[in-house]
Parts: sequence; structure tokens; C-alpha cells
Amino acid sequence: MESEAVKIEDLTIGYSKGSPLAEIPSLRISTGEIIAITGPSGVGKTTLIRTIAALVRPLSGSVSLFGQTFGARPPRGSIGYIPQRLGLVRHASVLHNVKMGARAGNCGPYALLASTKIRDISLDAIDRMGLSDKIYEPVRRLSGGQQRRVAIARTIAQSPKIILADEFLSELDEKTLEMVKSEVVGFVRKEDATLIVVEHDVSRAKSIADRMLVIDDGRVNPFISSTMALEVP
Amino acid sequence: MRVNWPSIAIPALIFLSIWLMDGLVDDWGRLSGGGQNLVIFFRESLWPPDWRVLEPQAYPVCTAYPLFDFTCSTAWIGITETIKIAFISTVFGVMISLPISILASRNLNPNPITFPFRFILAACRSLPSIIWAIFFVILVGFGPLSGILAMTIYTVGYLGKLQYESIEGMSNIPLESADSMGLSGVEKAIGVVIPEQANNLISQAVFMFEYNVRHGTVIGIVGAGGIGYYINLYLKFLQYDKVVAYLIIIFVVVVVIDFISIYVRSYFNEEGDIAPPKWLSVIIPNWILEYPPIFISNRRQS
Repeated sequence: MESEAVKIEDLTIGYSKGSPLAEIPSLRISTGEIIAITGPSGVGKTTLIRTIAALVRPLSGSVSLFGQTFGARPPRGSIGYIPQRLGLVRHASVLHNVKMGARAGNCGPYALLASTKIRDISLDAIDRMGLSDKIYEPVRRLSGGQQRRVAIARTIAQSPKIILADEFLSELDEKTLEMVKSEVVGFVRKEDATLIVVEHDVSRAKSIADRMLVIDDGRVNPFISSTMALEVP
Repeated sequence: MRVNWPSIAIPALIFLSIWLMDGLVDDWGRLSGGGQNLVIFFRESLWPPDWRVLEPQAYPVCTAYPLFDFTCSTAWIGITETIKIAFISTVFGVMISLPISILASRNLNPNPITFPFRFILAACRSLPSIIWAIFFVILVGFGPLSGILAMTIYTVGYLGKLQYESIEGMSNIPLESADSMGLSGVEKAIGVVIPEQANNLISQAVFMFEYNVRHGTVIGIVGAGGIGYYINLYLKFLQYDKVVAYLIIIFVVVVVIDFISIYVRSYFNEEGDIAPPKWLSVIIPNWILEYPPIFISNRRQS
């Protein structure tokens, strides 16, 4: 059954009341949907997903996830956020980073010792991203593309209900890009999760999204289908 | 017209310092005899150092192999005790200061939580280790225990500040990722902060050990164990030649530990920023290693 994953009402985003970045009158995203947010640089695409992730307070309006408005933080493990700069622990191993996601999604905060289950989930996610030979490698020693795959593996291991990904397909070669896309889209379809992607490359956004949201000059254009996206100026 | 502030501020600061000093010093004429006094004191009392401090004590009887009988000397016993006190207090200090510094970091906790922990660290740091040593000598009596307690408290205060400043300087993005995942504070500390800051934390701990060895020599003067105890003893008997011998030993040990500390810390820098020095640089200066005579360059190539 299709239900509402994200509901936005009269939302104004930005970092100070004097200079709001964008206004979003009303936005509803269903579970299982893949949404791409596009638009020129600096219009507030990243700020919008950071607001949905409760990392930035809205200037006005509300964001509710699965029908509940969360004041401070959404429930543990429900949101998987892949920032543009990835947010990995650079000095720790690939396994350690992925385990952080697996812990968030699969056990409570007081289970201090990582169980075998957490390890298995992490190893499976690493394997799906084609990084099995890098398990114990410190993240700082990996290439940009490999680090991006670690961040994606961390999110897959977390198994969140909503994935917020900022330019997560950049820095990948064609072959890896297709692999990552199919893994992430496959995960979203299988788990009935919601994927919200910030993507400035319209053709890449079109290739993954069901619907697209275009932010331009502080205004949010109504949803358009991905087939129309290429016509957007 | 744009004002060049440094050209005004620096002379102003120098002038202010001289003016304040002039207010504090009543008789500048004292400076004139200082050099001569030093020469007389040096010739008559300090030099040559009395190296008998490296000879075994009369009691207890030394049972070490004759080649190693210096291990029964007061200098050896004193300096090893100082190093042990420094090591123990550094280990305890790190264990205590790390959780406190995590709680004191403003990027991890709100102000009402950070404030009391910053207050604790400031309180530990506000008194120098020698004052803590006097305090603990009164509490638990003479000996290394009061030294360990004093140095541990000071280490907590000093290292805690270094640690929380380092934690506050870390990138916010991994913390935001952890926040969005819903990880708890403990998970963030163990899973993100400590691994991400491990290099800095280890480097600071090594630096603290080196610092504690240097300061461990001072706390002995108030009876808190270590080589300072013997220095104080011979100062009382006006045997300055023996004091100089101890000071030279301390200097050599501190220089060696300083080099080892630089070497160890260089392994915990960001990769590629600073190349780790060669072990040989502990003994041979870097400028010789960089432009080596033939015999060194041959050995390095082989």
C-alpha cells in the first residue's frame, strides 16, 4: 500500500530569516518513490535535504516523516543521509564505517558490542558495492569513487526508510555508476524505501528518478515527470 | 588611509612591557654584577660536575653486574622513578581526560553539559603540577604516590583542553551523518570522534608524556618522588657540583625523550603532510642525513 513518506507544508528553508533560500508550499513524497531535486548551484537543494534530515531547522513551515513531525531528530536508523562530502570516518576502515550504518539500522543505542549479525550485514553491503578486497583499508587511502561506494554501502547496511543522497553518483566511472545505480534502485524497490536525490546533472537525474523537483530562483516548480525533465531550462 | 596596525601595536606592546618592568624593578644597577657573580659561582661551586652521582650507593649493597652498577646510583634510581611517574600519570591522565574532553566539546554537547566539564578541566589546570604535588604530599605523604596523583591531575587538565580543542576542530560532516542516522552520543564518540581524532589524541598523549618527564623532575623537589628529591637534597647541603651532574643527566634524558616523541608523533600525522624522520636522526642531525658524507650515503643505499 502506498503511504506518505515525506510531507512538507509551507516550508521556508535557509540559514537566516533575512535571506531564505527557497519556499516550498506543499510537497508530498510517497514510499517507494525516487525523487530527484535539480536546479542551479546555491538555490538550496542541499539545504532542503538537510532540512528533511533534521540537520537544519526550517525557517518556517513543517516537515513530517511518515505522518509524524519530529522536533529534534527522526527515529534511529530511519534516515540514511549521504552528504556530498560523504561524512565518512577517514581514519577508520571501510568495515568500521559500514558497521556504523548497520548499527544505526539494526540495533539499539545501548548494544555496545557489535554482534555477528551487524558484521554480516556490513560485509554483505560492502560486497554489493564491490569493495570486498578493501574491507580493512582505511577510507582515506581509497579513491574518491571508492569512498562514495563506502558511503552508499553504509546506507544500504543501515536499511533506512528514507535515503537522502547529495550528488551520490558523481566521481564514478560509467561501469561503476551503472552498478551503483542498479544496487541502490534495487534496494529502494525491494525495501519499499524512498530515495530523494540531489542531482545537478539533469540527464543523470532523469535516469534514476520517478519524479523531479526543480528549484529555481527560490521557487519550487511543481513536480514534473522524469520524461519531461530534459525540457526544463 | 589604511592604518598598518602591526606597525603601531608591536612597538606599543614593547614600550608597555618596558614601562611595566621599570615599575617592578627598583634597582637596575643589580644587573651589572650579575655576570660576574655567575662566573664566580660557576667556577667555585658548579664546575666540574660531580659524577659520583652515577656511582652505586653505599647502602643498600648493589647486586647488579659490575658493568651495570650505575643502575644502583641515585641518578639512575631518581631518573627512572621520574620516567615511571610520568608514564603512569600520562596513562591515567589520558584515561580520565578523554571522556571528560568529549563531554566538554561544544560540537558534541550543548553548553549546559560542556560548561561543568570545562570547569573541571580548568580547575585541574589552574594550579601548576608542583602546587598539586605539595597538596598531595600533605595528603598522602612523601614519595612517588603523591607525584603520580599530582601529575595525573595536571595531565587531566592540560591534556583535556588539548583534546577538546582538537575534537572541536574536527570536520562536522561525519558528525552530521551520525546524527542523521540517529546514533547515540556514546556511539558517536566511540565510532566517529575517537577514530577520526586518533592521530591527534595519540600525538598529544606522547607530547604529554614528554612534558610530564620534564615536570617530573620539578615535583621531586617538594618530596613527590623522582630525581627532584636528590636535587633538593644536595641543594640543601650546598653541593652544587652534584646538582649540576643531575641537571645534565635530566637534560640528556629530556633531549632523548624529546627526539623519540617527535619521531613517534610523526607517525600520527596526516599522511603525506610530514615524512616520518629516520631513526638515525635521533643520533645524527638531519642536515648531515640530508647531505650525507660518503660513508653514510653508501650505507643508506645498501
